[in-house]
Amino acid sequence: MRVEAAERAAPGVGWDRLRAALARMDLLLVVLLMMAVLTALQPQFFLTRENLTNVARQIASNAVLALGQLLVVVTAGIDLSVGSVMGLCMTILALATKAGWPALASLAAAVALGAAVGAANGLALTRLHLPHPFIATLATLNVARGATYLLSGGVPISGLSPEVRWLGSADLLLFPGTPLETAIPVSFLVVIGLYLTGAVFLRRTPTGRHLYALGGNPRAAQYAGIHTARMLVLVYALCGTLAGVAGVLLAGRVNSAYPTAGIGAELDSIAAVIIGGASFFGGRGSAGGVFLGAVIMGLLRNGLNLMNVSVFWQQVFIGLIILLAVYVDVLRRRAAQVEP
Amino acid sequence: MSEPARVEMRGITKRFGPVVALQSVDFSVQPGEVVGLVGDNGAGKSTLMKILTGVYRPDGGEIWFEGRRVHFASPLDSRRLGIEMVYQDLGLAENLDTVANLFLGRELTRRVGLWRLLDEPAMERRALEHLEGLRVELPSLRLAVERLSGGQRQAVAIARATAFAAKLVIMDEPTASLAVAEAGKVLELIRRLRSQGVSVVLISHRLQDVLEVADRVAVLNRGRVAGVLPGHGTRLEDVVALIVGGLA
Amino acid sequence: MKRIALAVVCLALVLAVLGATAGAGPRSYTILLSMKGPGSGNPFWAAVERGARDAARALGVNLVVLSPPAETDVQAQVAILEDQIAKRVNAMVVAPTDVSALNSTFDKARARRIPVLFVDTDATWPHKVTFIGTDNRAGGALGGRFLCQQLQGRGEVAIITGVMTTQSIRARVEGARDAMRRCGLQIVAELPANSDRALGQQVMEDILTRRPNVRGVFAANDLMALGAAEAVKARGRTGQVLLVGFDAIPEAAQAILRGEMAASVAQNPYNMGRFGIESAVKVLNGQTVPKRIDTGTTLVTKQNAARYAK
Repeated sequence: MRVEAAERAAPGVGWDRLRAALARMDLLLVVLLMMAVLTALQPQFFLTRENLTNVARQIASNAVLALGQLLVVVTAGIDLSVGSVMGLCMTILALATKAGWPALASLAAAVALGAAVGAANGLALTRLHLPHPFIATLATLNVARGATYLLSGGVPISGLSPEVRWLGSADLLLFPGTPLETAIPVSFLVVIGLYLTGAVFLRRTPTGRHLYALGGNPRAAQYAGIHTARMLVLVYALCGTLAGVAGVLLAGRVNSAYPTAGIGAELDSIAAVIIGGASFFGGRGSAGGVFLGAVIMGLLRNGLNLMNVSVFWQQVFIGLIILLAVYVDVLRRRAAQVEP
Repeated sequence: MSEPARVEMRGITKRFGPVVALQSVDFSVQPGEVVGLVGDNGAGKSTLMKILTGVYRPDGGEIWFEGRRVHFASPLDSRRLGIEMVYQDLGLAENLDTVANLFLGRELTRRVGLWRLLDEPAMERRALEHLEGLRVELPSLRLAVERLSGGQRQAVAIARATAFAAKLVIMDEPTASLAVAEAGKVLELIRRLRSQGVSVVLISHRLQDVLEVADRVAVLNRGRVAGVLPGHGTRLEDVVALIVGGLA
Repeated sequence: MKRIALAVVCLALVLAVLGATAGAGPRSYTILLSMKGPGSGNPFWAAVERGARDAARALGVNLVVLSPPAETDVQAQVAILEDQIAKRVNAMVVAPTDVSALNSTFDKARARRIPVLFVDTDATWPHKVTFIGTDNRAGGALGGRFLCQQLQGRGEVAIITGVMTTQSIRARVEGARDAMRRCGLQIVAELPANSDRALGQQVMEDILTRRPNVRGVFAANDLMALGAAEAVKARGRTGQVLLVGFDAIPEAAQAILRGEMAASVAQNPYNMGRFGIESAVKVLNGQTVPKRIDTGTTLVTKQNAARYAK
């Protein structure tokens, strides 16, 4: 996986790095096994270009939400508002487009709105001293959803700009005309780009490191002179920004801003983060892991859809995978504590 | 002694409402000196040190640092002069490795395009040099701190406080939670700092540890200095008497 | 790692079993039915599914039923349709969760020459084969006219609306409003209760407080009407305020038999499923079907409620 490249470049491969790499190998193994199983069960459908690009597109918006959620979870927080913020950003995008704004301006407006709502989450947490991010973001979940209904009048707004459509639903042909010709959805490339950036940010910048410190031990971060309140506002703002981007991708895919968009999406993003190996106690989790978490969820849903299995089973399986992922993490941590 | 004291606190008074926490306390530390600061709970040890690190501002008295009068508006001011604190809870990010903790908040970076990225090789090199200078031995610099022993963590916390040209390190109960062998290593580390010219204030309830390593022992009792004793030749009972004794 | 591998293998086995049962039988056509919600848990969708299964059995086609977990989960339905398009189903009978958000997915079906039929809810996609469903406006008017007749065109009435984002709910409200206005009833309140039972009760309490003279209420679905019935009962005014619901779910039919509700408007979900599959097969066989197929509405009162109460 290219996602790990930035992390592997770090020098001094000690036990922890090896362990982290192994942990990610688990997930990679799961992905490969799932793909093998699906290929075996649905030989004529699963490995087709059409189906694989479908999966990649279906994963996109959840993967982007999950990346933002990861940033928040690393600081031992949670953002329940991402689904609603995504819906709100889609509505703004569509309204701006309808009002005749240029494509780039309406895109910027949607993403900026996500950033602003996210920053408001962070400020509510740090300035109003609300006891837990759960509360601030739960409030925002409701406010943003209500605002979405108010702004849209409760009806879907269709007709987005070709640029947004391109981002959400077009395929890019790589190496056309050669045997290596592959079609990759633009939205998936956006996801890869965001995850690479996210991995570098988290692992290779001082700010990223401070986030882990803040999540691991907030007092340590304070002693070290890290401006923790500013950090939290930044993190929630980034999470909101990514919710805006996810909204753009989803709106582009369905060519509509529908008012119920993103209902329950926060739970999917949290599931991807957990399956990806991040800890709710903060200070743990990697972009690569969460990416694989989102892929696992996407493959599971796709496989069950291909096999005509009711969505109720999808929910059951995703629940079981969350349990399993966390249980494996508990086992691994217990094993690690006995060793030194 | 021609050289000025590294730090000299004169007539420090601090009140919290009607409660007098410190009453005209004089306290000094010379360069390369280890001073034990002892006293019962509530005697004023941590209040005095919080004034020295700029967390509290005194209601009366003066602080001199290397012959200059100083005023601390915030912990950053004292830190800038080279006064560092090792907290009892160590203040380490346990999920991060030793290198990350040593440089937390002061990371070395290099520019790559638009990004300011962590310079891991440089940090690792300097961390290694510093730890070798203190003769601290760790299984790996890249192991998360939570996987180190208590003594090793204490060593990391002390190394962290001294990594950036510290002149005075205040240690709050560094041996309290350690086994005897590990506590011995921490005391060894304090001696090594002294030999490098670093001043140390050692706050501890383990008086035998204090007497083993301190050049002088200052005893606080209900916000006043009950006495200052030499580290060598002082008996434990003498210190205890000052700690629990009523004021003359 | 071994544990994970083991778990995946187990998962694979379960999937294999499920896959084997779901994909059984070599049949000529495979038709996908995707409703707004699963049949289990909602009698309405269960009836649609029953109609579709009966028709599929009679016509010898392979029916695949896949629905999102909730009516608001547009993304899940998009994924279901995309994945089934990739599997090349022969036709799709869909109750769309949104009137426009699935249009680009339907475009993909069209590009693969897969005909798309709508049931229950009409979407804005212009290339549909047909829309098979209730004329909600006519249904609303039916309920409104019932109140006109019972109240002899005199007095105050109120409307409890549902999720106004839903086209069908809006059409019901419009139909009822027009019918009641035309016969001279005075609509003194029109309040939303989100198609929710508890909210329906709460809204009815407010109406009884602010407008004690209200003699009839049209609620855009039965859940809200049942909630309203609770509020009326709590005030001891059962029978004095005529409550008309929509959908004729069993619980509402029982309330009608007890006299707590006056009437409900029944849709014919069984016909939606049945006509949906029959029409799909007709199209696949090269026949034409009308662009709009009405499945009809029936007024359910004390006289015929027993049929719906089981």
